[in-house]
Amino acid sequence: MTDTRALPGMVPSTADAPTVVGLWKRSEPMLLGTGTIALVLLLWELVPHLVTLSAGTKLFFATPSQIAVALWKMFYTGSIWHPLGVSAAGFGIGLVLAIVVGLPLGVLLGRSRTMNAMFDPFITAFNATPRLVFLPLLLLWFGLGMWSKVVIVFIGALFPILINTYEGVRNSDKLLINVVRSFGAKEWDIARLVVVPNSMPYIVAGLRLAIGRAVLGVVVAEFFGSEAGLGVIMVRAASSYQVDVVFAGLIIFATLSLAMTGLVKMLENRLGRWRPQLSNEN
Amino acid sequence: MQAYIQGRNVNLTFRPPNRGPVRALQGFDIDVREGEFLSIVGPSGCGKSTFLNVLLGLIKPDSGDLTLGGKPIAGPGTDRAMVFQEFGLLPWRTVQSNVELGLELKGMPAGDRRTISQRLIEMVGLRGFESHYPHELSGGMKQRVGLARALATDPDVLLMDEPFAALDAQTRDLMQVELLRIWQEAKKTVLFVTHQIEEAIYLSDRVMVMTKRPGQAKKLFPIDLPRPRDYEMRVTPEFNELKFAIWQSLKDEITA
Repeated sequence: MTDTRALPGMVPSTADAPTVVGLWKRSEPMLLGTGTIALVLLLWELVPHLVTLSAGTKLFFATPSQIAVALWKMFYTGSIWHPLGVSAAGFGIGLVLAIVVGLPLGVLLGRSRTMNAMFDPFITAFNATPRLVFLPLLLLWFGLGMWSKVVIVFIGALFPILINTYEGVRNSDKLLINVVRSFGAKEWDIARLVVVPNSMPYIVAGLRLAIGRAVLGVVVAEFFGSEAGLGVIMVRAASSYQVDVVFAGLIIFATLSLAMTGLVKMLENRLGRWRPQLSNEN
Repeated sequence: MQAYIQGRNVNLTFRPPNRGPVRALQGFDIDVREGEFLSIVGPSGCGKSTFLNVLLGLIKPDSGDLTLGGKPIAGPGTDRAMVFQEFGLLPWRTVQSNVELGLELKGMPAGDRRTISQRLIEMVGLRGFESHYPHELSGGMKQRVGLARALATDPDVLLMDEPFAALDAQTRDLMQVELLRIWQEAKKTVLFVTHQIEEAIYLSDRVMVMTKRPGQAKKLFPIDLPRPRDYEMRVTPEFNELKFAIWQSLKDEITA
């Protein structure tokens, strides 16, 4: 390849080139990615030193080191744990409820023509409506506490899980259903043995979407009407120009979302062990 | 005297939505003796696979009488098991777990299931592959699992729906020999649907030719070749006469 030639200091000998080139090729994307992030952070940090910021601009500006200090303070003093716990609880309870309701309901609607005909218009209408328009109503009904947050997270996360499960169930292998039926399987066994495992890729994809929606639900609920939570801290900090704290909150949200995506990925790999490995090394 | 498996005037019409009705079986009669190996050949779409599904209890006929051991077929039961053309293995289950499927649905405890599945996996020659997943097996191995799974619940009747159609010629020959060995060992009644006349003759006590759709029994050919059968039998004059006679009977249904 021509790109080996473009690298300075690369050995021209073809004999040992493969190992060096191979090592570089393997680590190249990671090195470039980390390098770029480091560069951006460095430039960001240097901004106040390179240009003179006006007093007004300074008010809205925070360097990475300031943000790091703000983060450190939050964890060191422990002030972050309660709001973080409140946010996590809203997220967790809402998401678990969405799975507990969405998965069985998706299976039921996918398997039963009657149930599908009954609920389909309702679900289509509900799903087409932006979830956030329910917020004022939910605040009215459930107040500023935990439950309005839980419900908005639940509504947001329910539909991706419900709809994906339904699609997965509709695409179940008819032959496999007949196989288990021939061994005397009842509807519950069919769901347990064929339909749900068969729909797993759809369900996991739905779960991934649902997590995003759930985080969004937490953020929005806390921005617009909550007494406590990470979002509340961010809004309060913003109103008092504590930009470093706002950034710190943002970073915590981003890290948690990333971690969750990683967890889903692990779940996916664990559940997909029976599947042929398409990207084989040899 | 009622036959072991007896079908009288079985009628079945499929009524798919958005399309016209399809008459799959019309006035279908069949008699199968206990312990017999009976093959059914017929043109594509004549309803032979449909009949197996009716016998399995997955499809209810519109009318007619169908009994097994004197009792009408009311639904799936552990006295029958099917070997499917496309194997029908659950891809997320290992070989052992696939073989144990029927036992699990019967509510048998894991220890007993294991004893049975071990014996059958051994019998179909898959020892050492217990914890493999279906995608790691060849077609022939997959169908061995399908066969072991069908035998696991110890059914009286084995229904085989073109079980070797997806296999290559050599594997198919090998599986036929294996099947005969297992049939003689396990003493089952076998209903075997196939497109291959040669396969039907080689395996069966009798071969039934079906008409084109809507399917009816056209003619029954007793196969009086001695058992145990061997591969060389296929080149004997008797074998080829039978092959020709069955072909003659089948030809009218395909060309007409």
